[in-house]
Amino acid sequence: MDSRLSNSSSSTHHSNSKKRKKNATANNTNQKTLGVAWGSKSLSASSCSSRKSPFSDFSSYMAHKNCKLQNQFDSEASASAARKPIFSGVSIFVDGFTVPSSQELRGYMLKYDGRFENYFSRHCVTHIICSNLPDSKVKNIRAFSAGLPVVKPTWILDSIAANRLLSWVPYQLEQVASNQPKLSAFFTLKSSKMSEDTFTNALCQVEPDVQDSFPRVGQLKERHPSEVGEMVEVCRQISNESNDISSKKTDVFMMEEPIGERVICDEEKLAEANSSETNNERNTEGELDPTYQEPSTSFSIPCSDNQNVHQFPSSEATGSSKQCHSTLTDPNFVENYFKNSRLHFIGTWRQRYRKRFPTLSTGLNNGISNSNKSDIKSVILHVDMDCFFVSVVIRNKPALFDKPVAVCHSNNSKGTSEISSANYPARSYGIRAGMFVRDAKALCPHLVTFPYNFEAYEEVADQFYSILHRHCNKVQAVSCDEAFLDFTDAMVEDPELLASSIRKEIYETTRCTASAGIGGNMLMARIATRTAKPNGQCYITPERVDDHLNQLPVDALPGIGYVLQEKLKKQSVNTCGQLRMISKNSLQKEYGMKTGEMLWNYSRGIDYRSVGIIQECKSIGADVNWGVRFRDMKDCEHFLINLCKEVSLRLQCCGVQGRTFTLKIKKRRKDADEPAKFMGCGDCENLSHSVTIPLATENVEILQRIVKQLLGCFYIDVKEIRGIGLHVSRLENADTSKQGTEKYTLKSWLTSGSASVEKQKYHMGHNKHNSDCANCASSHGCIHSQGSSFQIDNKILNIHVSGDPISTPPPLCQLDVEVIRNLPSEVFSELNEIYGGKLIDFIAKGKGKCESSSSLGNSLEDDAATCKEEDLPYSDPIPLNQIFSENKAMQHERVLGSGHGSCSQVTHNSNIERDDLLPSSLSQIDASVLQQIPEDLKAVILEHLPAHRAQDFCSTPAICPGRINQDSVGVDTSKNCPGTVNHALNDSLWAGNLPSWMDKFKDSSCLRKLGEIYHRSGFNSQLSSVLPQFLSEFHHLDLTQEIYDETVNIMCELLKQYVKVKIERDIEEIYICFRLLKRFAVKSQFFSRVYNDIFPFLQAAVDDNYGGSLFMP
Amino acid sequence: MQRKENETPQGQAASVLVEFLEVAITAVVFLKGVYPSGFLLPSLDSPSSMPFLFFFFFFFLLLLLLLLLLLLLLLLLFDVGKGAFERRRYMNVVVQRARHPQLRYYIHATVSGLLPFLQKGMVDRVAVVFFNTDNVPLEKFIFKLTVNQSYGSSVEGVDLQISLRSFLAKLSVSESLTKKLPPDCRWEITGNFQLLPETGTSKEANFWIPTDTKQWEQPLFITPIRSMSSDPLCLQFYIEHPSLSESSVL
Repeated sequence: MDSRLSNSSSSTHHSNSKKRKKNATANNTNQKTLGVAWGSKSLSASSCSSRKSPFSDFSSYMAHKNCKLQNQFDSEASASAARKPIFSGVSIFVDGFTVPSSQELRGYMLKYDGRFENYFSRHCVTHIICSNLPDSKVKNIRAFSAGLPVVKPTWILDSIAANRLLSWVPYQLEQVASNQPKLSAFFTLKSSKMSEDTFTNALCQVEPDVQDSFPRVGQLKERHPSEVGEMVEVCRQISNESNDISSKKTDVFMMEEPIGERVICDEEKLAEANSSETNNERNTEGELDPTYQEPSTSFSIPCSDNQNVHQFPSSEATGSSKQCHSTLTDPNFVENYFKNSRLHFIGTWRQRYRKRFPTLSTGLNNGISNSNKSDIKSVILHVDMDCFFVSVVIRNKPALFDKPVAVCHSNNSKGTSEISSANYPARSYGIRAGMFVRDAKALCPHLVTFPYNFEAYEEVADQFYSILHRHCNKVQAVSCDEAFLDFTDAMVEDPELLASSIRKEIYETTRCTASAGIGGNMLMARIATRTAKPNGQCYITPERVDDHLNQLPVDALPGIGYVLQEKLKKQSVNTCGQLRMISKNSLQKEYGMKTGEMLWNYSRGIDYRSVGIIQECKSIGADVNWGVRFRDMKDCEHFLINLCKEVSLRLQCCGVQGRTFTLKIKKRRKDADEPAKFMGCGDCENLSHSVTIPLATENVEILQRIVKQLLGCFYIDVKEIRGIGLHVSRLENADTSKQGTEKYTLKSWLTSGSASVEKQKYHMGHNKHNSDCANCASSHGCIHSQGSSFQIDNKILNIHVSGDPISTPPPLCQLDVEVIRNLPSEVFSELNEIYGGKLIDFIAKGKGKCESSSSLGNSLEDDAATCKEEDLPYSDPIPLNQIFSENKAMQHERVLGSGHGSCSQVTHNSNIERDDLLPSSLSQIDASVLQQIPEDLKAVILEHLPAHRAQDFCSTPAICPGRINQDSVGVDTSKNCPGTVNHALNDSLWAGNLPSWMDKFKDSSCLRKLGEIYHRSGFNSQLSSVLPQFLSEFHHLDLTQEIYDETVNIMCELLKQYVKVKIERDIEEIYICFRLLKRFAVKSQFFSRVYNDIFPFLQAAVDDNYGGSLFMP
Repeated sequence: MQRKENETPQGQAASVLVEFLEVAITAVVFLKGVYPSGFLLPSLDSPSSMPFLFFFFFFFLLLLLLLLLLLLLLLLLFDVGKGAFERRRYMNVVVQRARHPQLRYYIHATVSGLLPFLQKGMVDRVAVVFFNTDNVPLEKFIFKLTVNQSYGSSVEGVDLQISLRSFLAKLSVSESLTKKLPPDCRWEITGNFQLLPETGTSKEANFWIPTDTKQWEQPLFITPIRSMSSDPLCLQFYIEHPSLSESSVL
């Protein structure tokens, strides 16, 4: 794209376009249709006129009338010979009585190439001329004027006198002027910034150029009367071309001011364009003004001119006059799109914030260690501005405070733009964000709408945050108008008082109200804010948490959106109280692990997040789903180039490079109609393709190449595309990746990160001062004495979960010896290098330490130890430990689970055992958590439970199915009293290598026999194999009555045990045994008794395990 | 049967199991005779003796005829006479393999769709269900599985195969345990999952749809065929029948 083109060439374009326009105006038929379209607002008009009955209804009559008037005017205009094109492009509508009468004004317009409309139409009128307005019209000026300038007739007279078109701004009607945004002040301020020499330099050159291009502007307007937005664009382009603008010229552009709904931003753009014009190639620089994050400050001027000229005939050909704002007509669409996007503002706001408060935001991390003092009640404050987007806009207009006001993009007559924010008076009418203006107006006819004022938003957000930062050093920004403050360390006496003082200060500084919520954690603070709104505050003390949550509807919880709410509704869960009834297990089954856990926690007011943890972004990208229309591949490619630029700039802003590139495309569904929202994407299919490259990049060229390839993968008709998004993921830090060879080393990974270097150095130094192990030991001690290890662990868990990648080589003492020792040798050597060889010493020392504690030492406790080590004062989250902390995390989870059960039961042991991580009683263990833990870890945990607990545990069938074999607790006791056969036998007869029954039943003659046979066949064989032999031999035994009874009992017991052992894993064995038994039961009364006794038990057991009864033929 | 070195024992067991299930399910379907088996096959064993004619002239003529007949017979045997299954060897046991590609694919696809869930130990049982024309299940062949997730050491595929082979051997002789099916019956493979796989989490999960197979109202009868309990795989194979009272109603 050759973007540096001289003015001369662009002016030739202008003349070209002018000629074309003239040709087109001469074309009569075209004129007719246009006239028809102008005269009537209803769409049916054109179709009516196409039918040959001209006066079938009013609209067609009006259409014809307008048409005739038009023709009449044209013919008269051509008759008046010498005319100067002062008012070229100006089309006036005279409203009411004026001092030069409307007929006079019409005459002037005829003379000076202007246009005069007899009937008002937003599409063709550019200025409304009137000297006085009734009060009702003033009040609802937008509805009346449709955003067009309302000017006094003296403007026309003065313009004629001056022989050129003057700015209409000074001639604005006073009544209206007060109501309209005052941007002139702002504008001149900006332009005064411009360097003096360029000013004078350019002036002479600019003068004719602007003159030249302006008529074109007018003509364009004529052609595409609805292209209001585009007008602004064109103006802006001219401003670019002209390199500089004198204040007079500025006024010319200012003329467009109230037209666009996006005026303010456009002004901003204009100003920005001017200021950035001095460094023409700003986009290549990559470095951006930190306060201006809109990365699109580049303008491709001449190219755009070309396109504009090309495109007009085509859009005319399609007969549609609504092509403005689309990718078709606006070559800088991408940039403008993001400049006018509220979501984009919010999205990129964080970057701005971070640049503004860099030390503050990173300084938060030391807060984590401070929170060791967990016995102190934590106080979290959540501050949220009340309907930020509206209140900022109206903060200087006290008259509007209690009027319904909404902020939206556009204010066109169809009302198809969406309301993005509404204030509380408006909300009381039922106006919600996302509503069409049309619908909102229906609900509340006197709704006042405003465009965005991003400048003001930024200003207010900055003020807001500087207040917050003044009050608290731990601030977590959620959004531009919402933040969490952690006052736990500040030892605030009365949080309510503090909150009110903060709110007061916010109000005094910004003149916008804020609401505050105070709670024990972030969740509760947020919920408190909800009840506090608007302009209030609420403190939910820990005692009141339960009451408050009980009646809270589930959708008030953060993280519960529409879908989840619907799902919960199906389970007839509407409030948190009802949600609490559901067990965590079933929640997790129903909604997945994470969501289930979240629901369970949140419904109990539990939230482990801590203030100050900022999540690093995982992917960076840009989506454009509005106004995307392409005619051919060229358009599309052009658009993609711009999109790439945008994304590349964003990457550069964040200082990262990416490896995976994903192109998302919204493709119009085959049967989809034109979307209801003007230029919206409508009903679309979402397609995406992605590609991963080996070397991370943020280079525009490479991006463009990749994107072109990706687009090729879709095989899609570009006309069908309604939205395009480009996302870059697998981000790497740009600084480190620039280091080439070091890119993939552990070191670069460890040392990367955005944290402030000095602070890290301080940590490092600090820790090096203290000799490693001593520090370890002492810190152990202190942490122990600080008690409640649950809380500590929770903190750590938070760190792990949030995956905060702030990275510095952790101090040696924080490293886990066990982990280090088990590292692969190459990783170890690399780490050793980083630590300058100290690691080896450390390991050696660590070994000693480990051995000293080896009486307790096992992996579990080591983990526990490391957990505590991590929690040293001033410690940063340690990425190294994150890698290896998988099982640690598991453990945390367990502790967590137990914590839920009974946080209050945490007791302080004066003689703290290392064991204190383990819950003191079984009731504290969350079985569901334990179940999720891998078997080996589970075994370790079970081992460490005192014996009596273990038994409880194992006999819980849900937790350890099939553990019966191991369940050998009762064996020893029963051995002490052999010979006494009773039913109190434990389930241990078949346990062990040598089944204990053989021992026990030695004295019983028949079973001794069985034992012998069993012994002979080798112990591990199955009963079914020995049974036939036993049964055949059994005939030789004769039994007395009492022994007989006892033997039956013994036999039954034996078989019962056997069934219990085998039923789950070997049903066939059971089946065979009982088939045999049944067969013998026919022959022997003994076995028939045994069989009859045992059979119900067998069937019950089978039913339990298989849901049926064994089929015995 | 090539297996990757880095596979977990569960994964190894699962892949062996999947192969086995494919064969076993085919064997069940063959056993139940849902599809025609080769009806001309037995005729091969009883060759007809031709009368010998003394006259040379007739002798030649008949020889030609005989050759023609044999050719025809062979053609019939290989094209028409063959049933839905063909004999194959698997784990050194003679097994059946479906000849129709769709049948083969159905069994194969279903069972291999189970693989990821078997590895995770999510599958409780796999059932081959036979229905009558009213879609009432008549007989279910159930493979109840337990994959020990904590089993650490490697699995000897051969050992597992030997154990699994006994299932096939046992199955081929357990026709007497099963019931005669009415003509025109239907069958399907169902899997009982311990917990429902979240759809959308994996592609495989979407292949499985919840069934609305009718359940028996009365308690059912279980006829075990074969069990195997070893680590990491524990397999029970049994038949479920409706209780007698219900079967009389049907």
